[in-house]
Amino acid sequence: MIDLDTFRSDARAWLATMVPEFGREARRGLSDEQDLALGRRYMAAKYEAGFGGIHMAEEFGGRGLSGLHKIAFDQEEMELGFPTVYFGISLGMPIPIIMKFCKDKAWVRERVIAALKGEEIWCQLFSEPAGGSDLAGLRMKAEQDGNGWKLNGQKLWTSHAHIADYGIIVARSDPTVPKHKGLTYFWVDMHAQGVEAKPFELLDREVVCNEVFFDDVKLTDGQRIGPVGGGFGVAMATLMIERYVASDADGFGPTIPFFVDFAREVQVNGKPAIEDGRIRSAIARNFALRNGLKSIRDRAFLMMEAGTEPGPEGSLSKLVSVRSRQKLSELAIDLMGADGLAYERDAFSKEDWVASWLSVPTGRIAGGADEMLLNTIAERILGLPQDHRPDKGVAFNQIPA
Amino acid sequence: MTILYDEAQQAIATESRRVIDAQYDLQKLLDLVDVTGQYDARLWQTAVEQGWTALSVPEQYGGLGLGLVEMGLIAQSLGAVTPGAPFLSGNDAFVQLLMAGGDEAARETWLPRIAAGEAIGVIALGEGASPLPPVPAVAFADGKLSGTKSALAGAINADAAVVWANSNGVPVLALVELDDTMRRPVDSFDNARLYASLTFDGAPATALLEGDAAREAARTALARLAVVTAHEQTGGAEQAMKIARDYALERKAFGQPIGAFQSIKHRIAEIYGLVELARANCIDAAASEGKADFVLKACAARLTASEAYDTAARDAVQIHGGIGVTWQLGLHLHMRRARSLSAELGSPLFWEDLLVSELETGAGA
Repeated sequence: MIDLDTFRSDARAWLATMVPEFGREARRGLSDEQDLALGRRYMAAKYEAGFGGIHMAEEFGGRGLSGLHKIAFDQEEMELGFPTVYFGISLGMPIPIIMKFCKDKAWVRERVIAALKGEEIWCQLFSEPAGGSDLAGLRMKAEQDGNGWKLNGQKLWTSHAHIADYGIIVARSDPTVPKHKGLTYFWVDMHAQGVEAKPFELLDREVVCNEVFFDDVKLTDGQRIGPVGGGFGVAMATLMIERYVASDADGFGPTIPFFVDFAREVQVNGKPAIEDGRIRSAIARNFALRNGLKSIRDRAFLMMEAGTEPGPEGSLSKLVSVRSRQKLSELAIDLMGADGLAYERDAFSKEDWVASWLSVPTGRIAGGADEMLLNTIAERILGLPQDHRPDKGVAFNQIPA
Repeated sequence: MTILYDEAQQAIATESRRVIDAQYDLQKLLDLVDVTGQYDARLWQTAVEQGWTALSVPEQYGGLGLGLVEMGLIAQSLGAVTPGAPFLSGNDAFVQLLMAGGDEAARETWLPRIAAGEAIGVIALGEGASPLPPVPAVAFADGKLSGTKSALAGAINADAAVVWANSNGVPVLALVELDDTMRRPVDSFDNARLYASLTFDGAPATALLEGDAAREAARTALARLAVVTAHEQTGGAEQAMKIARDYALERKAFGQPIGAFQSIKHRIAEIYGLVELARANCIDAAASEGKADFVLKACAARLTASEAYDTAARDAVQIHGGIGVTWQLGLHLHMRRARSLSAELGSPLFWEDLLVSELETGAGA
């Protein structure tokens, strides 16, 4: 297997050649459709160059390298602002799940390669109006229908559903048993009769999320993943997949050096902001937090490389980095004063404080709200008791609404 | 230097913790709070027997020649028990400055004694609230020191000090042998730190380093002392967190353990985050010694460790409710130690400024 350092420098060299066509500058001013099309072209080029399925098995069209190679590539790629956002979930969860659970290997191989090339996109249909953090509270109905199944209900917050070709979904197949036990997991064709994805805007007008309606959508039993009633287990397996995704100590917002440069340019009471003790304090505190996260990340990386299990402290990354980004973005806008009121619609959140501030609340909710992350740390790492749960052990249809 | 501990380093961490825990004596620590000038002689004896005093002394001077990582691990183990003997970190800094200076006679005089636990050294850099004044007020002229250095941990019992002084506008690091006339014990809220300020009135001293070399060595030694102390703070913070966690599991109110309430469990989870960030920064800083960004990384470790310990101690008391503020429970030992360790090496205000200065000069690039 190619060693990590060589692989990383190969990746860096190749990525550099892609910047003119796919970098931030090339994306500026594109419509959503144009940006997605550019993203698909990038994914195809990436696959062609051998950087598509870096850590996926060769039998499925991958390259068979380690997860660390994948992270190394992602770390390099992340700096460049390429249009990869449409494919992150698709390749992160649904694709590994079908690779792991689906029996028709030829079909899986076709799907994996199409997803790696950006030709097909998968979405993850988990959250609903009645269940986000409380996933097992979902109400989407799956009823036996002849030899197959019939889906009725609504999903919510489904990222990229409107551009997706396939999805993975959890539905309630039995409402008469306690909530975790009555769920079943399927894959669905997003172009099937009765599926309707309605995108809606987030507060920064970004269009990522969807409401997805299922009206008598027919599935074969071959689309079932895992046993009937075993859907919660597969859902947990989905969320636990070692996704080998590079974390970002800057919470996917601007970096500390970016803030330092900014603080040199703006003034507080007639003096450069960088000379103001309050600003220096904020810089120092946020640098120290993020440096800690980087150290945790690098240590986890080394441990995985050495074949040992990284510590649970990796779970801090999103919690700490996104809050840091939120406060620093607010401070930056304060520092600009009236100049901070201007808003450039096309700006990227890694290089614009207002864009960063507007989109940051999503980061504190998506993929586990801060409060859920704190619960997880308290319960799983520190061994503190679960919250009081009145719905525990109660048949789903007997839970007081 | 890697940020993964090797097997020998992991063994140092577990073994030191075992030895320290085995002789933990709350009553003794409580007794030390009230008196100025006493320390836990048994713990110090253990430190000598375990070779911790010799740890970072080079082998040719009777030491073990180990590095900052190992020193940090011992400090972290000690930090957990609010130790009643404050000498290891000061000794270590003293050794660093003797090694930075070229005075072979001074090394031969002091280092074997430090390693054997027969002498205690400190570094006297700070004046007033500043841990490293750019132009020190303490003067060095004709081989003699005069002026006052701020309170230092361990100084009540120290035998020698390396002093940051001013020699006609040129900074100097000078070695001085201490006697009772120079030490001014401080009656403190944390007396086991053995604080004393040092006042010199023509004390004979030897210059070890001058000018830029002295400035650089002083900065590096202070950074190293901060990293060792940050490990100690992290050890204390982690212990305070565990005490709070254990109490939250055991104490019941309204028919359930108080740890089931999110106001309690989230508070402890937040402390966990602070502790792990501090630990990560400590590991990173210890692995950065000798690199251009060492001072920057030391600042990050110092800041996060101070915050972690203060928060953990403060919140642990709060989570305990009434019992937390009693003398006999002793949680106040962590509260006291968190504050004393934060204040004694320059407050977070100093370290925040230093961190940003390092960023501005591109140390982290």
